Amino acid sequence: MARSMCWHCQSAVTGEYFCERCVKVQPVSKETDYFTCLGFPRRLMLDSKQLEAKFYEMSRTFHPDFYQTKSPAEQTISLGNAAVLNTAYRTLRDPIQRAEYLLGLETGSVKDIRTSPPADLFEEILELQDTLEEYRASERDSQEGRALRATLETEQRALEQRKQDLEAQLQRLFTEWDQLQDRGEATSQARADRDRLLKQMRDLLSNRTYITSIVNDLATTIA
Amino acid sequence: MAYSDKVVDHFNNPRNMGSFKKDEEGVGTGMVGAPECGDVMKLQIKVQNDTIVDAKFKTFGCGSAIASSSLATEWLKGKTIEEAQQIKNTDIVQELNLPPVKIHCSVLAEDAIKAALADYQKKADGEGSGTK
Repeated sequence: MARSMCWHCQSAVTGEYFCERCVKVQPVSKETDYFTCLGFPRRLMLDSKQLEAKFYEMSRTFHPDFYQTKSPAEQTISLGNAAVLNTAYRTLRDPIQRAEYLLGLETGSVKDIRTSPPADLFEEILELQDTLEEYRASERDSQEGRALRATLETEQRALEQRKQDLEAQLQRLFTEWDQLQDRGEATSQARADRDRLLKQMRDLLSNRTYITSIVNDLATTIA
Repeated sequence: MAYSDKVVDHFNNPRNMGSFKKDEEGVGTGMVGAPECGDVMKLQIKVQNDTIVDAKFKTFGCGSAIASSSLATEWLKGKTIEEAQQIKNTDIVQELNLPPVKIHCSVLAEDAIKAALADYQKKADGEGSGTK
């Protein structure tokens, strides 16, 4: 993660975060991805304990508190590095955010994976929206209000179950992705597998977002 | 960042909310979603003699998404298919004064218009029906 040349003494940097000659802290490059930043391979099944340990270790290295007696340049670098480190950890700590981030790295942007929108799911969400509207307009204690509420609660449970199923499927794809990366083959089969996995993960992650959003709406409305 | 008066107006009094039957003749349905925020938009047009005579929408999302699709249906009515193709998300941004973080809502509305037009064309060309 270090730059090739020390900002302070201009010698080649061989150490990881510090110049070995003048012992000055080195800025994390803007091009460094979060996996590299935290010293992990680009995998989807990361051990959260290891991730946390590494984050704490690096926080101790970069935390601005430890740079109070250093030069302003070093203070600025430590602050910048600590900020990058925090974002990197927050992103990789959550398996879903981690996958979204990896997909972004692998494909440039979300939009680069062509998927067909899940029309059935959309219809379902819009229909639920209508029921929610009816419920909002109804008298809560009336028979109608209670019936609508019961319907919505059933829907909520069903959707939460679906969300869990999606997450279990995602988990399997994550494992498959990691295995594919570990094998590191450059065959056309491996490339096809890679594209298929990226598309499947994109679809599942999107559907999960749609479901999460309607579930949250349901939860706040009938809470 | 507060919503502009126009957004609030469309949000409080949405125009043309509702839906047509998908398989009705001359109806084109566009169904789009934003995987980043979970917003879902359904926009439908009813076409007679190459002119959009009616438009309806249903949107599940934030105020800007609702306003964008509401405005889109207003604009679509009375336009020919070709004129409708010209509607750009930037027109919506300008009209509604959307802040940068809400530009994707207008993009979603443009996508919905395009999808509805494409669906209508597909049905008109007799290549089957539905939105898939």
